Amino acid sequence: MMTTATASGTALIEIKDLTVTYRSKGREVRAVEGVSLQVAARQSYGLVGESGSGKSTILRAICDLAPVTGGSIRIAGEALEDPRGTDFSRQVQMVFQDPYASLHPRHTIDRTLSEPLAIHGIKGSDQKVMQALQDVGLPTSFRFRYPHQLSGGQRQRVAIARALMLEPKILLLDEPTSALDASVQAEVLNLLNRLREERGLTFLMVSHDLAVIDHMCDRVLVMQHGRAVEELSRDDLAEAKMTTAYARSLFEASADRMLA
Amino acid sequence: MSSLRLWLTDPNPASRRQARLGQGYLAWLRIRRNKLAMTGLVIVGLLLLMAAFAPLLAPHDPLAQDLSRRLLPPGTPGNLLGTDDFGRDILSRIIFGSRITLYIIALVAVTAPLLGLLIGTISGYFGGWIDALLMRITDIFLAFPRLILALALVAVMGPGVENAVLAIALTAWPPYARIARAETLTVRNSDYIAAVRLQGAGAPRIIWGHIVPMCLPSVIIRVTLDMAGVILIAAGLGFLGLGVQPPLPEWGQMISSGRKFLFEQWWVATMPGLAILIVSLGFNLLGDGLRDVLDPRSTGK
Repeated sequence: MMTTATASGTALIEIKDLTVTYRSKGREVRAVEGVSLQVAARQSYGLVGESGSGKSTILRAICDLAPVTGGSIRIAGEALEDPRGTDFSRQVQMVFQDPYASLHPRHTIDRTLSEPLAIHGIKGSDQKVMQALQDVGLPTSFRFRYPHQLSGGQRQRVAIARALMLEPKILLLDEPTSALDASVQAEVLNLLNRLREERGLTFLMVSHDLAVIDHMCDRVLVMQHGRAVEELSRDDLAEAKMTTAYARSLFEASADRMLA
Repeated sequence: MSSLRLWLTDPNPASRRQARLGQGYLAWLRIRRNKLAMTGLVIVGLLLLMAAFAPLLAPHDPLAQDLSRRLLPPGTPGNLLGTDDFGRDILSRIIFGSRITLYIIALVAVTAPLLGLLIGTISGYFGGWIDALLMRITDIFLAFPRLILALALVAVMGPGVENAVLAIALTAWPPYARIARAETLTVRNSDYIAAVRLQGAGAPRIIWGHIVPMCLPSVIIRVTLDMAGVILIAAGLGFLGLGVQPPLPEWGQMISSGRKFLFEQWWVATMPGLAILIVSLGFNLLGDGLRDVLDPRSTGK
């Protein structure tokens, strides 16, 4: 079974034996089976694996977007309520994979960014929206544009700004750069790293690319077929100290880009 | 004037108000480029003016009878479009009838799509037994022919303009509910809805602020296509004597009373018929243009 390096007392995100089962028309699909992990505050934790390995489903389960059928999820030592309350949305936010699908096509950037403030009755949205745009490196003149007037990278910056509007402690990143081309990918990853340092955020990041994980994360959990295969620290990764054959094959597939 | 235009077309608006006004101005420019939509807008505008200034425009009292001047043909001095079987001036009756027509259209256009949108989006968003219940109710309403159902409702509630409007609205909502539900099903699992749910938004905010805007374009197309049908159903109810009561000058009822003389005095039924045709056409053209304008994606980059 998994070994975890962090003591359970300090873990901000604590997932134990999580099982997610999709049911449709009598068929059952176990997307995640008995996965446990712990993420300490201010840590950046990666989930890596091929398509269908259940890594995104873990993020969705945290947000109540996937049917949890077993195990427990704790944030800051407390079990999550069902349905997730407003406290949860102030603590945890998510950046979705596809920036073309995650922004409302008929809302201006201004509306998209001020919506979370309106939901939580936070005042001063005018100024906060401008500040948020600056923080993610977008010109404030973009404020009243529609998503279709922005590029993919710019959209993803808007999505990141939206996730940060409520000043959460935890950011769930669901392959935030897989829909972007290589140069934009690096920009967005660097932006995320900078924001994490400035704001002391905790990341739980999903990727199928070990190179991205290596650039971003302190620890990584390798997954396959809905199960955890192996947990590695960044040093393990750098020294290629993986014990399972699957993790090694993933590593070898992206090793050349990691060394570069 | 040019500084106002510059302010409105500023690509980087300084405030929310400026951005909204600027979008309105761009929408106006877009509809102005569309010749057919402008034609529709002019027709609807003229209808509005006609209704507003009816007492000034009408040459005669629409209710004044003069049996010595009955059934005069169009072009008679003093009665441009002729007179009906009671010697009432048809032009004046059409002008005053525009008020009743507009009143019916306005009430139906507000109530029926709104009701349909609400039922459709709620049904699609929540799913499960709520969806099943609301959609079966919709099916029941859809199963009846519209005019027959409207007739039954008017027969129960009694004839009159308000009851006719209510009857039409109650029979017109199911198609809107169907359209809204279908659109809702395509967007409810999208990432942007998941994102706003994750921000802690409740169901009313998600439905009204995020799902309804996605359903609006298809509903608006349907409304404008139905507008002509609403005029005709209102006319049909009037024709059957269940809508507006005589001697009020409602267009459908005027056609109905002119039916008796259709072969000898064709103008009595034809003139209000032409009025219905033109107004229906105007709403159809305008609606077509509005659909293009309401989609922000059709704005240039």
